[in-house]
Amino acid sequence: MNIAVCIKQVPDTPSIRMDRERMTIIRDGVESVINPLDYVALQAALDLRDRKGGEVVVITMGPPQSEEALREAIAAGADRAILVTGAAFSGADTLATSHVLAVAISKLDPFPDLVLCGAHTTDSDTAHVGPQMAEELNLPQICGVNEIHMEEDYLTVKRLSDGFVETLQVSLPALLTVTQELCSVGHLPLGDLQIAFSEREITQWGPEDLGLKEEEVGLRGSATQVWKLSVPPPRREGDLISGSPQTLVDHLIRKLEDLSILDEEDGYKS
Amino acid sequence: MRFEPTMKQAVIRRTARKYAEEVLAPAAVEMDRTGQFPQDIADEMAELKYFGLEIPPEYGGAGLDPVSYAIVVEEISRANAAMGLCVAVHNGVAAAPMYEFGNQFQRKKFLVPVATGKKIGTFCLSEPNAGSDASAIETTAVRDNKDYILNGNKVFVTNGHVSGTNLIFANTRPGEKKKEYTVFFVESEREGVEKGPLEELMGMRGNPVCPITLHDCRVPEENLLGEQGQGLKIAFATLNGGRIGIAAQALGIAQACLDVSLRYAKERHQFGRSIAQFGAIQKHLADMATQVEAARLLVYRAAGLRDKGLEYGMESAMAKLYASKIAVDAARIGIQIHGAYGYSKSYPIERYYRDAKITEIYEGTSEVQRIVIARSLMER
Ligand SMILES: Cc1cc2nc3c(=O)[nH]c(=O)nc-3n(C[C@H](O)[C@H](O)[C@H](O)COP(=O)(O)OP(=O)(O)OC[C@H]3O[C@@H](n4cnc5c(N)ncnc54)[C@H](O)[C@@H]3O)c2cc1C
Repeated sequence: MNIAVCIKQVPDTPSIRMDRERMTIIRDGVESVINPLDYVALQAALDLRDRKGGEVVVITMGPPQSEEALREAIAAGADRAILVTGAAFSGADTLATSHVLAVAISKLDPFPDLVLCGAHTTDSDTAHVGPQMAEELNLPQICGVNEIHMEEDYLTVKRLSDGFVETLQVSLPALLTVTQELCSVGHLPLGDLQIAFSEREITQWGPEDLGLKEEEVGLRGSATQVWKLSVPPPRREGDLISGSPQTLVDHLIRKLEDLSILDEEDGYKS
Repeated sequence: MRFEPTMKQAVIRRTARKYAEEVLAPAAVEMDRTGQFPQDIADEMAELKYFGLEIPPEYGGAGLDPVSYAIVVEEISRANAAMGLCVAVHNGVAAAPMYEFGNQFQRKKFLVPVATGKKIGTFCLSEPNAGSDASAIETTAVRDNKDYILNGNKVFVTNGHVSGTNLIFANTRPGEKKKEYTVFFVESEREGVEKGPLEELMGMRGNPVCPITLHDCRVPEENLLGEQGQGLKIAFATLNGGRIGIAAQALGIAQACLDVSLRYAKERHQFGRSIAQFGAIQKHLADMATQVEAARLLVYRAAGLRDKGLEYGMESAMAKLYASKIAVDAARIGIQIHGAYGYSKSYPIERYYRDAKITEIYEGTSEVQRIVIARSLMER
């Protein structure tokens, strides 16, 4: 079974910061990691391959430094990695992204039996790319899968829907997007990282390699444009108080007084 | 001059940190409480190649560069200093000289099981009467045909209780006025090797530190590392590299102190606001963060010089001297920031204090590091 896994590099979540003047995400000095659900998809692909044979190809579209994510995926066990990169690809919305990835996948030889993606990413969180790719590739799609069983020549998968567990069967080739519950991600052996970063080749595809025209990709190929980015009003920080019951009570009362919810004259003061 | 990690080093840090946070941090509490070494975790770490960090893959290691090595020791120690000690000593002063000075036969026979973590390594220099003064060792090795007969007492052997392969430093000219120092591979199962009871330590608890005694222990000449008489040269060269590991360990502890102190200062409220709002606490945190960053630069610089094959003895001594000092300071001030809770075992900072202190003592005390640095200054 040959499996293609689409992965994306995202900013490490706890450290996302906004440039409040330019209204963009600050990427300088912020670490990028493989989108956690894409890591789950990769792990699931590796498990299937280890049981059924075949190869796992990881693909990302992104700036040259996305190579880091691909090499990490190779260390985790992927057989091959393809970096789809080029200046023309930048500024892509989900439609342009899915189009480029779909074209890249259709170029794979042999065409994969299964395409796996994370259900959504921690940065833009649209959950568009998997389904849009499936449409373009004309593949059956099931989103939000949390269990996969390989049958003879089809898959039985489960997903949650409105609090029910749906069990579905799907013929191959197919595209699935996966959730956290599907499987847990293992720890990487350090030696495999060393090999992935020093010895392995990454295939690079630009627009010409994929036969894509400028107007199909990047900002020009996008059907949507971000009109405005703004920072949501900050959530008030929670206040953790510790200490003896007396300290806790005193602290709480003082807080309530500060907020003018309690009033000393009401006689609540201890 | 470059200060950014490479892509590989960034991923190595994330990988080690994830493992440390998920597996080693919870284990640290238990190790400190019971003093027990978690063999199951060590076995898993062996699979993940934590016991052959810098050793080339052909001998079963991960083949990492020295900066990656320092990063891994730092991340492990940030979560679990006793395990950081296990890894730093095993890699830095056991596996490293086995690779550097071992011949092909020895690399295959002794290094491979060590680098794959099947056997844990030790470095046995210290004795009851030989601490900072390594030349005072009294363990003897007397030639008997094709063998040597070893006798003596080694103390404070890190990883001692779980070791499989020990590097023993001995005098091969006993009775003569001028000693001759030689290193031997001594397998733990060899007759005449006796491991004493575990040391009850202030910190680094869970690392099975113990004495190792040799009673008429017969060792074949193929177990001699390097050449006869090369012992002190091997010891000093090894400690130059080993100090990067201990410096990285101290750095990890200092970072852990900063992490918990910053979190606590933001959570703890007094006088109607978080204590992090007070200038006095901010000064503590600012100093701590600055010192941690300075230590990090010293550690990576020493490792970077080693990577390039340049001299780094003075730089690794500086890194160890400084990182160990600021680790103890960060733990001490960290407890101050925590107040009474810092003095209680319900917070980790008191453990960091107990763990940090030894980094100023082993693999050369701070006084000895200053001697190394001053000597290099005068020689260069
Ligand atoms: C947890 C732990 C693990 C250890 N692991 C190992 C190990 O794996 N292998 C190993 O061989 N050893 C190990 N040791 C021993 C350690 O390396 C020694 O304790 C260290 O080298 C110092 O020796 P000492 O304790 O005998 O102190 P001493 O040498 O007796 O020093 C006492 C004091 O005198 C000072 N001093 C000594 N000489 C001078 C001088 N010339 N100038 C100025 N001041 C001086 C010292 O700095 C120190 O302050 C370990 C110790 C501990 C506690």
